[in-house]
Amino acid sequence: MRKFFAYLLIAITALAMIVLPSCVQQQTAAPPRAELTFSWSQDVGTLNPHLYDPSQMFAQDMIFEPLVNYGRGGEIQPGLAESWEVAPDGKLITFRLRQEVSFSDGTPFNAAAAKANFDQVLKNREEHEWLGLIEAIDRVESEGDSTLMLYLKTPYYPALQELTLIRPVRFLSPSAFPESGTTAEGIKAPIGTGPWILADYQKDSQAVFKRNEKYWGEKPTIEQITVKVIPDGETRVLAFEKGEVDLIYGNGEISLDSFQQLRDSGQYVAEVSPPLNTRAIAINSARGATQDQKVRQAIQHSVNKDAIISAIFYDTEQKADTYFSPEVPYADVGLQPYAYDMEQAKALLDAAGWTQSVGQEIRQRNGQPLTLDLSFSGKNNIDKAVAEAIQADLKAVGIDLKLLGEEEQSWYDRQTSGEFNLIFNDTWGPPYEPQAMISSMRAPSHADYEAQSGLPMKAEIDRKIGEVLLSTDETTRQQLYREILTTLQEQAVYLPISYSTNVAVLHKNLSGFEFMPQANQVPLSKLGKS
Amino acid sequence: MKPVLKHITQHYVFRRVLQLVPVLFGISLVTFLLIQLMPSDPATVVLRSTNVPATPETIAAMREKLGLDRPLVMQYLSWLWRVLHLDFGRSFVTNEPVLQSVMHYAPTTLMLTICAAALILVIGLPVGILAALYRDSLFDQASRVFAYVGTAMPNFWLGFLLLYLFSYRLGWFSVTSRGSITDWILPAITLAWTPAAIYARLLRSSMLDSLSQNYVLYARARGLLERLIISRYVLKNALLPVVTVFGLSLAQLLSGTVIVESVFALPGLGRFAVESILNRDYPVVQCYVCLTAVLFVCINLLIDLTYSYLDPRIRLGRQED
Repeated sequence: MRKFFAYLLIAITALAMIVLPSCVQQQTAAPPRAELTFSWSQDVGTLNPHLYDPSQMFAQDMIFEPLVNYGRGGEIQPGLAESWEVAPDGKLITFRLRQEVSFSDGTPFNAAAAKANFDQVLKNREEHEWLGLIEAIDRVESEGDSTLMLYLKTPYYPALQELTLIRPVRFLSPSAFPESGTTAEGIKAPIGTGPWILADYQKDSQAVFKRNEKYWGEKPTIEQITVKVIPDGETRVLAFEKGEVDLIYGNGEISLDSFQQLRDSGQYVAEVSPPLNTRAIAINSARGATQDQKVRQAIQHSVNKDAIISAIFYDTEQKADTYFSPEVPYADVGLQPYAYDMEQAKALLDAAGWTQSVGQEIRQRNGQPLTLDLSFSGKNNIDKAVAEAIQADLKAVGIDLKLLGEEEQSWYDRQTSGEFNLIFNDTWGPPYEPQAMISSMRAPSHADYEAQSGLPMKAEIDRKIGEVLLSTDETTRQQLYREILTTLQEQAVYLPISYSTNVAVLHKNLSGFEFMPQANQVPLSKLGKS
Repeated sequence: MKPVLKHITQHYVFRRVLQLVPVLFGISLVTFLLIQLMPSDPATVVLRSTNVPATPETIAAMREKLGLDRPLVMQYLSWLWRVLHLDFGRSFVTNEPVLQSVMHYAPTTLMLTICAAALILVIGLPVGILAALYRDSLFDQASRVFAYVGTAMPNFWLGFLLLYLFSYRLGWFSVTSRGSITDWILPAITLAWTPAAIYARLLRSSMLDSLSQNYVLYARARGLLERLIISRYVLKNALLPVVTVFGLSLAQLLSGTVIVESVFALPGLGRFAVESILNRDYPVVQCYVCLTAVLFVCINLLIDLTYSYLDPRIRLGRQED
């Protein structure tokens, strides 16, 4: 009996020794030049152009196109519309659509198809309430094959910017509309006019995009892109190093430690994008000790952003002094930054009545300790590291900061309900800034609104936001933005940390890489492979 | 007819299956009530996942649509009726039927479970038996090291080391799945190592226990072949505790293993479940909890039946009561 088991074990070992090495993949058989593999942490989703999550924006952007495109710095460029004209009263935009464009299933893209798409989106207004454009549209009409008229209820200056968004106004082939109901309930297939066609889809495993051979614009040089779902960042790095993935792109797709390691190896091209959106923390002016402007300002002065940026971000991000980067349209208004100055922070806290006697770690007022909370999504490791750094900084001036790392939904719950002193609340990046972001400051379901709700001049801020969105005159608009942004800066309701970036790591055989103007686009169409 | 009926009703298997009814009822009740205990209101969650602002009016409308405004008992009964027809509702996030989504992920998990279970048996049992038979030998010491390493090493780390060594350094496997059978080898090893190590130790100690029993001494005195003694007396008795633990870990494997699925980028049930929990996708969570509970109960039943086969005292002892 002993012998039998011994033999069995030997046999298994021998078998393993023979079988395992024979599993060797044909490493030399690298994917053909015309194919590219990209990886993403989540499934690409249903790819309904008129809906949001769980569809991934970069994938929606590959298939569907807007009327107008967003260029670097906010310039509006022709897309499916060749030209457009805004009526003097700002209430009508007339688009001249590109001729000879068809959806990838052969259905022609014309004014009627465009109107049908608008109508689907407008039937679902509630869902798009966050977006001022949808609110502002009264009706859409088509004339002939190539004229589309957008009637607005009120003048809305960011209308063209918001038409460049990846969702919800992009165009689906009318043949893919559902038999009954609206596209909000589901679509038959993701068929657009864009440079890519979804050829194969295995949920949570991979999606294969083929080049749209009938694309009207400049066709990609790559014929096929496979998007593999790899949830784990470290696995992604291994797959990349082994050559199974051609490029890594995004924010948070790999840890910054890995990024630095790949960059330092010198074997790959590693790039950091220009600043996109702002990593920021909203400070609640309606709750607890942060109701006091002096406390909020003291927090601003006590955080050492330079240290955070070099220790956590390895200098891949730039320091942020204002909620909107000066690069954002209308936001370069010379706001006064809060310098890192612990003495000033202490003086402000003393002035606010929060005093620290000798030997006391935490400041007190009327016997109450100065305890605040900072809420973040527990699965976001970067926010967690930043939170820990801020905790240490605030302790140095005598503020006790409790860290609340919860699952994402609880964190959202706090953003909506206002149950926070401090909460991570990043801005949305181009092309949402500043207009869509400012507009959402009026909606009670946003952290911005909750943070500002304790300000004595909140009603006035909201009124000015309303005015700025309706403004037709450039000088008035700039003046209103100046007033709004200055008030918010002075009131210290936002603690900006850094301007976040996308990082990209590519194998050296890829060419034509450049960062895209929108944060959520991945530059796959211009890549070449040798 | 009557004696046959009596025979059936008194049969161990029948009584054991009958006991399932209240358990399953309990499961359904707990699963249903789970939603009531969740921290966020389901209506608010649906609204948020479809981006509709949560005003009192929209919440009220959604509550009515979801049937949350009816009495709890009615809600439970209608839910139970639908579940009995295998209708677990639609996902809040994707709007797909829940069971269909679960079925999408089930094959991956099933395959992973089968591979891991096979490895556990193929490695754990012989190692355990040999370690007991050659007690304190070099092999026994080696198996001890194998066991300690297996239990001490966290799954994600082991998986990552395997990937690094076999995929990246040696290039034997691909890091991402390519749809071939070799995709399963590394994940299966990662999953199987810890349980295999535990079973080996467990089997070793219960074998040693059995070997010192009087019936073994008696059998040896009767001059039976050692091979026969080991296989018919010692092993059969020693297997009992191993079967229990094996069954439970089988159920655990079947309910998904989120860490291994993440590291190896496999679309399995574990990842799906965790994602749904984080998204507060209540219908999916309900379905998952329900199915997992039923799975555990069924596998427990199978274990008990195996028991009664391996050890007739269990089957017969009860009948005498």
